[in-house]
Amino acid sequence: MRIGLVGIVFFMLAVCRAQIGSSIHTLYENNENGVLKHPPEFYLLEWEKDGKLQEKETPLSIVVDSMGRQEVRMLVNEASNPVLYTSNIETPVCADGECRLMHIRLYWTLLGEYAGFDRFPGLPLTKHDHDEFLQADYLKLHHLLSDKLSILERRSIDELVEKPKQPEVEGADALSGATIKEVKESVVGGALYSCYVAWHLVHGAIKEDIKEHTMSLINDAMVREMLNSNSVDYQMFALNQLEMEKYAEQVDRISEIFESSIPMVRTFIIKNLPDVFWSTEKLQRPFWNNFAKVDINSRSLLLDHLQYASKDTLEDLSSELSVMTKNQLRAYLQHLEEHKMTSKSLRKNLEAFSKNDSEKYAYLVAQYLEE
Amino acid sequence: MRYLLSILVLMCCTITVAAQDLLVEAESFDNPGGWVVDPQFVEQMGSPYLMAHGIGKKVKNASTEVTFEKGGQYHIWVRTMNWAPGEWDAPGRFNLKVGDLAFDKTLGLRSGWGWEYVGKTKIGKKESVALELIDLTGFNGRCDAIYFSTSQKEPPSSPKKLAEWRKTITAEPNAPKEENTYDLVVVGGGLAGCAAAIAGAEQGLKVALIHDRPLLGGNASSEIRVHTLGIYGHFERILKKIDTEHYPNGSAEAELDQVKRDNNVKSYDNIDLFLNWRAYDAKAEDNTIKYVDARQTATGERKRFTAPYFVDSTGDGWIGYWTGAEFSYGRESVDTYGEAWEEHGELWSPKEADNAVMGSSVLWGSKKTETPQQFPKVPWAKPVAKEHEAINGEWYWEFTRNDLNQIDDAEEIRDHMLRAIFGSFSNAKQNPENDNVALEWVSYLVGKRESRRLVGDHIFTFNDAKEGTRFPDAVVIETREVDVHYQTVLTDEKNPDFISKALFYKTPEYYIPYRSLYSKNINNLFMAGRNFSCSHAGLGGPRVMRTTGQMGAAVGFAAALCKKYDVNPRDIYKGYLDEYLDLIEEQKYPKIPESKQ
Repeated sequence: MRIGLVGIVFFMLAVCRAQIGSSIHTLYENNENGVLKHPPEFYLLEWEKDGKLQEKETPLSIVVDSMGRQEVRMLVNEASNPVLYTSNIETPVCADGECRLMHIRLYWTLLGEYAGFDRFPGLPLTKHDHDEFLQADYLKLHHLLSDKLSILERRSIDELVEKPKQPEVEGADALSGATIKEVKESVVGGALYSCYVAWHLVHGAIKEDIKEHTMSLINDAMVREMLNSNSVDYQMFALNQLEMEKYAEQVDRISEIFESSIPMVRTFIIKNLPDVFWSTEKLQRPFWNNFAKVDINSRSLLLDHLQYASKDTLEDLSSELSVMTKNQLRAYLQHLEEHKMTSKSLRKNLEAFSKNDSEKYAYLVAQYLEE
Repeated sequence: MRYLLSILVLMCCTITVAAQDLLVEAESFDNPGGWVVDPQFVEQMGSPYLMAHGIGKKVKNASTEVTFEKGGQYHIWVRTMNWAPGEWDAPGRFNLKVGDLAFDKTLGLRSGWGWEYVGKTKIGKKESVALELIDLTGFNGRCDAIYFSTSQKEPPSSPKKLAEWRKTITAEPNAPKEENTYDLVVVGGGLAGCAAAIAGAEQGLKVALIHDRPLLGGNASSEIRVHTLGIYGHFERILKKIDTEHYPNGSAEAELDQVKRDNNVKSYDNIDLFLNWRAYDAKAEDNTIKYVDARQTATGERKRFTAPYFVDSTGDGWIGYWTGAEFSYGRESVDTYGEAWEEHGELWSPKEADNAVMGSSVLWGSKKTETPQQFPKVPWAKPVAKEHEAINGEWYWEFTRNDLNQIDDAEEIRDHMLRAIFGSFSNAKQNPENDNVALEWVSYLVGKRESRRLVGDHIFTFNDAKEGTRFPDAVVIETREVDVHYQTVLTDEKNPDFISKALFYKTPEYYIPYRSLYSKNINNLFMAGRNFSCSHAGLGGPRVMRTTGQMGAAVGFAAALCKKYDVNPRDIYKGYLDEYLDLIEEQKYPKIPESKQ
């Protein structure tokens, strides 16, 4: 039986190894003399090829119930720039009067957000019934820790184990039977207490302390590094930190982010581009070029800048009418009308669209052409 | 039955052409059958309309009878719209039957509201003809009006021209003939409006409560079914007459609270309740509102309401909007009031102001039955629902987008939610475990969270909640967390665009000042409900309905003092605040019955 279980665990490990796509190293092997040679086993950020991170002391620490202070260290790259923060956590997890220790090595980003975790060899996480976590359980924990808006944030542990008797206690319209379902879906089955403790360690007061520590070290190189990252948090931070006069020299990277990032970052970019972008064709062009690729909100914000668009841009947009919503199309047509914009190719595109039966807003263009 | 007849005589040199016209408003049908009257979008598309809201099952025919003064060959049009146009059969198709003639022409196919030609028929002089709308799908076919004309000229479709045309064809005078005078006119019968009417009435005011639905309660009504949250503050006695239990959103239990609410409000002799009346205009002179005009949503009858004081509890701030009250819409920049919550950055309060607001919900639910249940194919819903599966809705079924205005584009928002619901349910039905599940109820009313916010002497902000600012004129008390929603698609494009997430900020007890409950520039206008004076983030907490109910009660009592001293709302703050706060304080304690005094 035991052999069978071990076999399953190994099989799961093999499957997950394939799913994660990166090789698995034990923590001790990975972390010799405070040097991290491989990415943590569960990790959200990019890892520089052949990169090595060296641990460095910080004044930061986490106080764990009955275990005292646990150091938080910084991990720096070979150029001595900070990359991550980490802490080897040993904490009691108590349920129904029974306590056991949980060992986990946590990682935070430079902004204090969750970055990943490692388990310690020989010290697996366990469930309430003492069963060890399976690989899928670790992955679920990783997913839970990645969600900074988890339902665990606003609830005491007691409220999670049974439906609250007085649901209006927290008075949110977000409260109903569905939330209990949400808890079940997000935590590892049989390990609610471990999940709860881990989540609150990761997202506790240490977040702010780490960010503050990073801010005391921040320099241009770090901001540029973050701008070049795929992490949305780093992108937003860098875009906020970047001085307005430096936006133009970063146009390539900013337009790249505009193309590839999430809608929230795109809208931030369009709303905050300095005026020089809107008065310089070659600076604004890369953003218009992505008009059809980006989300609806970002498109609307681009269309708010129609008055700065060149004739070529306006013509190009006439072949993107299909992706416009009704109000976007109206805004575009109104702009053409107000600026008496017309050209052969523009008119040709508008006419073709107005006659296309499968275009639901063809009638708007037809009305425009009539008038 | 309302139908409108007019003779348009067109003089052309020496030739005289007489065209005979008849406009039948669908919402005025004698028997709407299974069709519902939808008056939500009058300001945008021009009129209440009939809608076949059958949640997938064809509804019973709507029917009426009209009499034609003159005989002749009539051309017939219906005003309709395909609410989900695309490369599939339109979801809301229907037919028209005139007398014994059932026209084959499928209707409900055009993009955008406008006229579809049905066909022509001969009708005799003084002939009474039955009209029937025949639903073909059960999926929200809609008919605004049917137009008969001996001329072949199609009526105009553009909103502006149509409004002019309607006025001409109905020969409607500018002002309603009937005028009613009250001490207080409350427009909007949600929780805030109901509480305002009750408080005013209890203080002896003669109150008109105008509401565009048959049932009171707005978002708390059994037509929308959001439970009420927040605390009672000083007004427990009044709010318990109109609030709800804490059942899951969308629950049919809302119907019990509906009966309680309607009965309680109707029990006040000095509240004249105008159910199914929708305000459509208001006018101010010298920054003082003179009247509000309203129209019966089915018959089209009109009334003018005059009063020294008005409460705008329409939710959308319509009375303020029509009378020129200052208002705001969208999100202020983070620096406007310093409302940053760093952890959530742009999602909470943006660096640059924008027009984003919290979205609207359409609640819905299903039930398990004993037998397998079919659900029709809904290809038109797929582009919205995509692969999302669900058999019930909740508060986080919410939609907003920055190209859509929660007022001007409310119909598109509602329709987007209908596609999300029908599509997600259809996806869930592919799973054999849902074989016996059937749709039970889908609202067709948009449950809005945020729209226009009228500006008062004080703008309530997130900081007022966060710091628990103790205003000298605090009249509303709340302990509920502030929560501001965002669409999850903003942080992950793989998410459906109709699902939101809430960001919660735990506050201490906080207070709303009376100065946020009357207009800054319209002298006799109170506001209560989500259109009170606040910032976007400030609305995050007090938008729930016991809180808005507190606002309503507070302005009802203020209106009574306004009448007593013949002063305006601002004067209560300036000169009568102690008396006002005493009056509110008294509400905490039940009165000793006269028999025991």
